[in-house]
Amino acid sequence: MSARFNPYVPRKTWLHELDPRTKMAFVGASFVLLLPANHLTLVLGYLAGVHVLLWQARIPGRRISWLWRQMAPVSLLILLLWPLSNPGGTPVLIDWWRIQITLPGVTQGLLAALRVNGLAFAVFTLLLTTDQSALVQGLVRLGLPFEWGLTLAIGLRYLPLLRGMYGGIVDAQRARGWTPEQEGLVRRLRAYGPTLVALVIGALRLTDTLTFALAARGFRPGEPRTTHRPLRLRAIDWVCLVGLGLLTGGLLIFEVGWR
Amino acid sequence: MAEAAAGPVVTGPATDPAIELRNCSYSYDDSIPALQCVSCSIEAGSWVALVGENGSGKSTLARLCNGLLRPREGQVLIKGEDIRGRPVGEVAREVGFLFQNPDHQLFAPTVREEIEFDLRNLGFPRQEIAERTEEALAIFGLSLCADRPPAVLGYGLRRQVTLASVLARRPSILILDEPTTGLDWGSTALLMDHVGEQHAAGCTVLLITHDMRLVAERASSVLLLHEGRLVAAGSTRELFAQPELLERASISPPPITRLSQRLRPAGMRGDSLTVEAFAREFEALLPESGDNE
Repeated sequence: MSARFNPYVPRKTWLHELDPRTKMAFVGASFVLLLPANHLTLVLGYLAGVHVLLWQARIPGRRISWLWRQMAPVSLLILLLWPLSNPGGTPVLIDWWRIQITLPGVTQGLLAALRVNGLAFAVFTLLLTTDQSALVQGLVRLGLPFEWGLTLAIGLRYLPLLRGMYGGIVDAQRARGWTPEQEGLVRRLRAYGPTLVALVIGALRLTDTLTFALAARGFRPGEPRTTHRPLRLRAIDWVCLVGLGLLTGGLLIFEVGWR
Repeated sequence: MAEAAAGPVVTGPATDPAIELRNCSYSYDDSIPALQCVSCSIEAGSWVALVGENGSGKSTLARLCNGLLRPREGQVLIKGEDIRGRPVGEVAREVGFLFQNPDHQLFAPTVREEIEFDLRNLGFPRQEIAERTEEALAIFGLSLCADRPPAVLGYGLRRQVTLASVLARRPSILILDEPTTGLDWGSTALLMDHVGEQHAAGCTVLLITHDMRLVAERASSVLLLHEGRLVAAGSTRELFAQPELLERASISPPPITRLSQRLRPAGMRGDSLTVEAFAREFEALLPESGDNE
């Protein structure tokens, strides 16, 4: 997927057809469940369940592996830092100078890393199976002001455009002999000035044009809006919502009871 | 004009090639190939137009020539040297590249610093940077706005600033990617006159454009791309004499050439590229004024 900004995979599956609000409820339930989760089995079970859902939604394996790869640096950082900052418990695995690494520390680090991955997969299950207009419409139906929703929709649509613009800018500066990779870290960061300034100027021009285009097409903030495909909670959505509520509640009770 | 297949095609006067592509292929994201087995040779000092419909691979080919893209297969040679492995910044010493959108290039707080940027990147001495910058400002008539931010200038002036910054490097090869898009006739003529001066001084010019009038007036040779393949290469006059080929590539000769072709039954050769050439030929066909009396 290589950092594509619209992760949506168009398919005709039951997960795609669900109302976006149902899938948002799933994300919310995942957060409620995962944030306090203290058992590896529960988090691993959750991740396995999400992968089954993604398989059901016929999401290509390369998209799933892309997300794992994107999360890998964060996961690695948590895995390394958690045991160092939580050295309590036994058995002690490493005891050298002021560094002490214990098995509970490593296990908790693994749990935290998997938890973060679980949260990312929850959000991406929504994004991979919901197109942007439905996503924004769902947020608007949940109470987000329409203008904010439109801003979000435009922002999401323009991300690939800005990415393309940035690629063009980098090419243009490279063709002028701009070689930031030959600099040290600090100078390299400073060397990115030309591309970032050009990007900001380009984005401002784009915003200006877009504002005029919206006005020219009759858009007036505050006007009541209709939608081409109004959202509707169907029977399957209610079944999923009830099932989700029961499952989350049950797992929370199980989690608390296990403690 | 022969249709180009896989073999090298020579355009321009018979001297050493400035740019040579040998069986170059390129594809973005392993999908449909953007260029397929393109071979061509552009001689030093020539002015070559690169034409073809949208998505035919023109910009891809141009980006191969300055090292921004590397061919998946084949070789790109600049002045006889394979540029594989050479960084873009190094190739930039020889190849000046003018991008279609000037706003992709402009970032500096003043026009002067914008022009200096290229020279500083290429490691010119401070004194020479100052001299070349002042010279470019004077040549392009930008002295009055030298201390203004280029981003607030009008489109025509922004275009001139980008060309000034490229030409201040005095590259021996100049690649222009649709430089006249969005420019009025006066700005186009001014821009092309600056390029013409560089060409007269020995610079090789590769011009990507959809403006066939510009091709007819300026370029001596043409490379025609269609669906990622080089389908024709040769003189401008020869290309415009092939209506079936042009139609296949969604290209139409300039109106004056078409008029000239329509007047073949009246004795015109049908290969006029400019109004001046047409007028000369047409006047020669007219009977002497004395005969009418």
